[in-house]
Amino acid sequence: MSVNDFWTPFALLPFLNALIIGISLISIWLIAALGLTIIYGTMGVINMAHGEFIMLGAYSTYVLQTLIGIPFLLCLPLSFLILAAIGWVIERGVIRTLYRRPLDTLLATWGLSLILVQGVRLIFGGEPQYVGVPSWLNFQIQADFIHLSGLRLFIIVMAIVMVAVTWFLLYRTTLGICVRAVMQDKEMAASFGIDANRIYSLTFCYGAGLAGVAGSMFGALKTLFPDMGGGYIVEAFLVVVVGGVQLAGSVLSASLLGELNSIFSYFTNDTFARFVLFTLVVVFLRIRPQGLLAEKMTRR
Amino acid sequence: MLELVDVTSFYGKTPIITNVSLSVPKGACLCVLGRNGVGKTTLLQTIMGLTTRLTGSLRVGGEDTSAQPTHKRAKLGLGYVPQGRRILGKFSVRENIQLGTFARGDGHHAVPEACLEIFPYLKENLDKRAGLLSGGQQQQLAIARALATDPQILLLDEPTEGIQPNIVSEIEHVLQRLNSELNLTLVLTEQHIKIAKKLADLFIIMDAGRIVARGEIGELTDDLLHRYLTI
Repeated sequence: MSVNDFWTPFALLPFLNALIIGISLISIWLIAALGLTIIYGTMGVINMAHGEFIMLGAYSTYVLQTLIGIPFLLCLPLSFLILAAIGWVIERGVIRTLYRRPLDTLLATWGLSLILVQGVRLIFGGEPQYVGVPSWLNFQIQADFIHLSGLRLFIIVMAIVMVAVTWFLLYRTTLGICVRAVMQDKEMAASFGIDANRIYSLTFCYGAGLAGVAGSMFGALKTLFPDMGGGYIVEAFLVVVVGGVQLAGSVLSASLLGELNSIFSYFTNDTFARFVLFTLVVVFLRIRPQGLLAEKMTRR
Repeated sequence: MLELVDVTSFYGKTPIITNVSLSVPKGACLCVLGRNGVGKTTLLQTIMGLTTRLTGSLRVGGEDTSAQPTHKRAKLGLGYVPQGRRILGKFSVRENIQLGTFARGDGHHAVPEACLEIFPYLKENLDKRAGLLSGGQQQQLAIARALATDPQILLLDEPTEGIQPNIVSEIEHVLQRLNSELNLTLVLTEQHIKIAKKLADLFIIMDAGRIVARGEIGELTDDLLHRYLTI
C-alpha cells in the first residue's frame, strides 16, 4: 500500500462534506449517550445495558411497524414509553437493591445486557431485521458539496429536540430542581422533603426511554440484530466520560469527538480514525480525568 | 411537640447515641451541649432520619415518626440546618431556598417572602451561585432554606461555627426573633456557652452518646460546665 492509498489529500469541498457527515455522526453519538449521561450523572449508576436498551428500542419499533403497522413517527414516542416501562421494572427489580454498590451495579447491568441479547435472539432469531424508512424521509439533500440523506437530517433534528427537552426538564421545571438537588446531595434533598428513590426511578425510566427513541432511529439507519447495542455503547461511554457526565459536557464532547472522527476518516480511513480518536481520548483522560466540564469528581 | 423516648441510634451496626429521652414543648428552645464527638450532631441526624436506624420512639407533633424515611419526616415541619451548612454549591441562592419549599404541604415552590425579609443580603443576590457565598452568608442561606419549609421545629447544628462575629450576632438575633415572635421550637447544638445561655430555655449535656445532665437554662452551673465541657 502506497502512502497515497492511505492518505487522502485535502480538497475543500469533499472536506466540507466530511464536516457535515461529522454533524450526522455527532447527532448519533449524542442520542446514544444522552440516556447514559442522565442515568450516570444523576444516580451514579453505570448502566452497561444501555446499548441493549437501544437495541430493544429498535426491536420495539420493528414490532410496532412491521407487525402492527404503526407509522414510523408514532413509533418514536411509543418506543420511549415501552423502554421507560422496561426501565422502571429493571430499576425496581435490580438497580434499587444495589445503590451504594457501584461495582455490583456494573456487573448486574452487564449480566442484564447478556440476558437481553439472548432473549431477543431467542424471540426474533439471529438474522438481521429491518425498520422501514418512511417515504417522506426518502430524499437526499444534494447541493454542491453536501450529500445528506433525509433520515440523517431527521436524526440531527431529533438530537437537537431531545437535548432541548432534556435541558428544559432539568433546568426549567420543579422536577428538574429535585433531580439536580439529589445529584448534588442526596441526604440534603431528602431532608427537604424530596423522595430520592422516586427521583431515581423517574430518572432511570427517562434515560431508558431516551435509549428507546435512539433505537427507533438507529434501527431505521442500519440493520437490526440482537447485539447491535455493542456498536453504540463504546462511543456513548466515550462521549459521557470525556464530557464529564453532564448534559452540556456530553453535547460538547460529542461535537468534538464526532468532528475529529470525521476529519481523521477523511484523511485516512474510518478504522484508523477510530484508532487515533481512542488514543486521543486516553491521553486526554490521563491529563483531565474529570472530563471537559466537571469541576471535580464527586463520588456518590 | 418533639419527644424522644429511649432512643438508640446506629451508624451501620454501631450505636452512636444510646437511651436518649427528651421532650421539647412547643415554642421552647433546647440547647444541646457537649464536647466534640459526644453525639450532638448524631442526635439531630437521628431526628431527621439520617442515621442507619434507630430503636425507641420518636414523636414529632404527636405523630410517631421513628419508622419514617427522611423525606416524610421533613414534611412534618422539621426545618434542618445541618453542620457545615451543606448548601448546594451549584444551585443559585434562589434554587437553594426553593429546595426548602419541597417540604411544605401546600405545593408552592416560590421563594417565601418572609425568608428574604429576614436576610436582606440573600434578597439582593438571589441569582448568585451559592458556592460563591462566604461562610456566614451560606449559614444565612441554610437558615432561610430551613425556614422555607414552613417549619414547626428548627434543628440547628452549630449555627455559629466558624463564622465572623458580626454575622454571629445577626444569626443570634434572628433565632431569638423566630423563637419569640413566630413561636418556633428550636433545638440547637452550640459551642458558645454565652449564646446558649441567651437563647435557650432548656439544656441537655451529652457525653459519650448519653444525656448526662439536663434542666432549665438557669440551672446550668459552672460546676456542670467545668465537668462536661472544659477539655
